[in-house]
Amino acid sequence: MRSDGGGSVITCSFFTDLFSNWFMLRALLAGVILGVLAPLIGSIVVVRRLSFIADTLGHFSLVGVSFSLFLSTLGVSALFEEPLFLGLIFSVVGGLLIELFRRAYRNYKEISMVIVISLGTALSAIFFSKAKATGSIYTYLFGSILTVNNYYMYAILITAGLVGLLFLIFGKQIVSVSFDETSAKFLGINGNIFQLIFMVMLSVVVSVMLESAGVLLVSSMMIIPVAAGMKLGWSFRSTLTIAIVFSELSVLFGLWVSYSLNIPSGAAIVSINIIILLVVTLIKRFADKKRLPSSEIEQLNE
Amino acid sequence: MMQIDVHNLSFAYGHRAVLRNMSFSLAPGDYLVVTGKNGTGKTTLIKCLLGFNPVKSGMIFYNHQDIINFKDWTSFGYVSQKYEDFNYEYPITVDELLAVNSLKKIKQPQRLKILDQLGILEIINENINKLSGGQLQRVFIARAMLNNPLVLILDEPTASIDKLNTKFFFQTVNELNSQGITIIMITHNESFDNMNYSHILNIGIDMNYHFQVREKCDLTEVEV
Repeated sequence: MRSDGGGSVITCSFFTDLFSNWFMLRALLAGVILGVLAPLIGSIVVVRRLSFIADTLGHFSLVGVSFSLFLSTLGVSALFEEPLFLGLIFSVVGGLLIELFRRAYRNYKEISMVIVISLGTALSAIFFSKAKATGSIYTYLFGSILTVNNYYMYAILITAGLVGLLFLIFGKQIVSVSFDETSAKFLGINGNIFQLIFMVMLSVVVSVMLESAGVLLVSSMMIIPVAAGMKLGWSFRSTLTIAIVFSELSVLFGLWVSYSLNIPSGAAIVSINIIILLVVTLIKRFADKKRLPSSEIEQLNE
Repeated sequence: MMQIDVHNLSFAYGHRAVLRNMSFSLAPGDYLVVTGKNGTGKTTLIKCLLGFNPVKSGMIFYNHQDIINFKDWTSFGYVSQKYEDFNYEYPITVDELLAVNSLKKIKQPQRLKILDQLGILEIINENINKLSGGQLQRVFIARAMLNNPLVLILDEPTASIDKLNTKFFFQTVNELNSQGITIIMITHNESFDNMNYSHILNIGIDMNYHFQVREKCDLTEVEV
């Protein structure tokens, strides 16, 4: 039914399965929520010129996943059965480590990320090498939104709710301080506490995105829609709106492509993100090069 | 109202001393112009006053409260010489930038009034990455004036503004000062004609300084 016909059969099958299978609907719901959450956090990350940070946190949360598998091998899995739990804890630890090193190397933000990403990769490799059941590594590296279970779904919903609440209450301050850290002081904000809260929030978002987007692609889901939005946006609000629209399009088409071609969903979503970015860049370049019509030039001269 | 007292302030970057035993006091509503050649420590002084440089030798008091315990920084407005950390490339309009930098009590009409005072009302909906250096500097000045500060600290605010708008700007600062706002301004302008300052602090290359009081004259009506 799924692949033994033309494209229309696959499309039909996709939509039939989508509304008849809970796991498909759950994947769609998770994707739609992450489609808003990722560019929302991503826009702040881009403004703060920390695009590499999600990648770093993803690598560090992989330590939690590998440690969880290692503990399973030792038979101590009761508390840490869901790798998400330890992934989340390690992601937050990674975020705090970045903040610690960032303060030590104040003018070299990227050094802190290199240290943390190296530590994360090394520890993950060690724990994976000592763990027996490492079959799910592939999922954590490249992501599979179709395997999202109820447990992850709740985690995504709670995280989205908390982040939404934070933005609702402190949105103005978050944007202001992201553009210019010195402004925090004159708005009565403790800059250090702000950095800490942002880092924890980002770490939690990265860890809940791990299952669906994968360690290697989590930052792409956050950054690429924003990069495309920046090409077309004329204000902060419009840029964010465009980024969310692109992100949702990528999730929906990515899910369909992933299902139809039986490829990892994270990879499909990110590939569509990249295609959107390329198309937007080309259109923008073409539009920028296009000369104004002579009537408009005359108007300008007048 | 904000009384400012600086007592024997010294500051060094590592082993390189920049300020030595500087003392002065400003009453609420004073207007201090800080002058001196490049590298004499003018910006260092400002950073000490704003708590960006931790004071290790000497003391700074705001309303008789030690800067170490001072919390009321929303009473200050600050315009930096340059905004190295500011992200100029990400799209945000002037209106959005001012809105996110406003305290709750500040409403849109006040933002419009300040933009009008600074002659940049027409760029309110412009993306900041499309603005000229001079326009951008005036946006930062508007941001510093936005939350009704009691003290406005300006580090070479007119460096990238043309002559005409510099005059307008000094006129605005004079008006703010006449409303009781304390002004501390670093300037390289050789002529202080348009500044209705009350005190001048000249810092020399050898860490000597001269703090002088001047009789105020009414310069709020500047001919342009």
